[in-house]
Amino acid sequence: MVLVAPRPLLRPVAPGKTPADGGTGAEVLALLRGDAGARPRFDPGLAGGLRAWLEDAAYEVVSARGEHAPPLFLGPRQLLGSHEEHSALGGGRGMGMATDRLLLSRLAHTLLRQLVHTGEIHDPMADALDALRAGGDDADVREIESIPAAARTALAENLALHARNLGRLVPRFAPGWMPRTNDRVAIPLAGGRVILHGMFDLVVGLPQPGTASLCALGLSVDGPWAAARRSLHYLSLLETLRSGTPPFRLALLESGSGRYGVEDVREEHLRAIASHIAAWLGQATTAPTTPDTAAHG
Amino acid sequence: MDALLEPGLAVDPSSWRGALEEAKSKLAGLAVRRAGATRFRVTDHEVRSALNTDAADPGYDDPFAWTTLTARRSLGVAAVRLLAGGQARSPLEAVRCRLDESSRWVREGSSSASQLDRWVDSLSSAGRAAVGAEAVTWATRLWCALDWSSFASAPVVGRDHWWDSPHSALLALRGRADVRSENAHLVVLSGPRRSSVRAELALVTLVESLRLRGDDVPGRVVGWWPDSGHLVRAEPEPATLTLGAEAVELALGGAAPSLRSAA
Repeated sequence: MVLVAPRPLLRPVAPGKTPADGGTGAEVLALLRGDAGARPRFDPGLAGGLRAWLEDAAYEVVSARGEHAPPLFLGPRQLLGSHEEHSALGGGRGMGMATDRLLLSRLAHTLLRQLVHTGEIHDPMADALDALRAGGDDADVREIESIPAAARTALAENLALHARNLGRLVPRFAPGWMPRTNDRVAIPLAGGRVILHGMFDLVVGLPQPGTASLCALGLSVDGPWAAARRSLHYLSLLETLRSGTPPFRLALLESGSGRYGVEDVREEHLRAIASHIAAWLGQATTAPTTPDTAAHG
Repeated sequence: MDALLEPGLAVDPSSWRGALEEAKSKLAGLAVRRAGATRFRVTDHEVRSALNTDAADPGYDDPFAWTTLTARRSLGVAAVRLLAGGQARSPLEAVRCRLDESSRWVREGSSSASQLDRWVDSLSSAGRAAVGAEAVTWATRLWCALDWSSFASAPVVGRDHWWDSPHSALLALRGRADVRSENAHLVVLSGPRRSSVRAELALVTLVESLRLRGDDVPGRVVGWWPDSGHLVRAEPEPATLTLGAEAVELALGGAAPSLRSAA
């Protein structure tokens, strides 16, 4: 595991006190900025090679499912068993809230967006619910508001802890870094019959043709760390297929513990995840698959 | 995105003229047939809804409401316009500027204030942040996708074009494009890739053709999915006009048999 700074930022801080680093996420920012001259080089043919590999595997699935089968939408939940796919709740509107953990993840992700956009969070629970309302997720809001008072208080306290950690961990990017949240990626394979999709929580940097120039940040509420890191590698693969170059650096922020890690994207990360997806698709030719209707692109 | 800069393909004038006359005739017939009906506007949304029978987007039948998703394009194009005009230096700054404008217009009772402005103004700061964040992402992707200095003249950002039927005040067609240059019209697409997309883009070609004087040929229409980076082109050919007119017919509840079978 190539983590530049795996040490925890969270320190015991009394309520209302400001932590030592002033909540600027300065360490994360410094590591993301890093040494621009040491950016890893990528083979210009890498994206084409990875796509060819995945196309071959996807065509096998299409052959097995039949030409007229509906498109197969695959995200990190299906391919990696990720529980951190915060878009899953919005996509499953009307199906009821999943676990408390998913609920917390969804709320924490709305706070991340707010923090990036405005730099501040006033009342974590109220702010998160207002953001959900603005997103048209009234059913989710009603469901949260219908939680028994004691459980709702516990959820609000837990969310407040995550919000405090986010306030410390998330760098305050200058507008020139072009920070954007919830950047969706969807890569059609086999003529659109198989679609790999996912969503970056936060991307910064200006895309430059032929150069790895973006940094991607992922938020995990409480891990598992390895799974969240793997999701970022998956998204890096999708970005490689979309634009021809991967992000050059990744940051993983864990809002529950305050841990963070920053690492460079390397070819072996992309090859490993492509290999995993190809193997998954190989198994899907014999096993039934669950379509995901939340995908776009 | 070279497709916006490349010169258009040569089109046979007589074939083009014939296809345009045929399209006009079909639209005239549709307008007359709908005489007495309620006003009907055909947009890319109606074309998509008419052609996508596989319920690819479960939200199609929902009544319209302003949300972060439905507001992002309006706010995003306004932000990109500010960026292209040098009035903002980043998408974040441009979107903030646009959101502040909404509040100012509503507060001052400006006639420029739209439903969207009133909705934005009614939100809490957290709700506005969510709306702004979605618009920033939309605007950043468009802003970063184009080399704005490569256009010979400043492109027009986010101006939809309407064509009103001369045969009936009840029928109007909308051509939605997010960036218009001398040679092309760029349409930012969202949602899944779908069989209707060529018909959606053909509607833009049709509207442009109907608005031009004489037999002038409009630029190509380029559809772009930021999610995947894929492009789809609708070149200004006679067949594109035919497709656009058939799409309108289908959206108005007509048969358009060739289009229905293609979908």
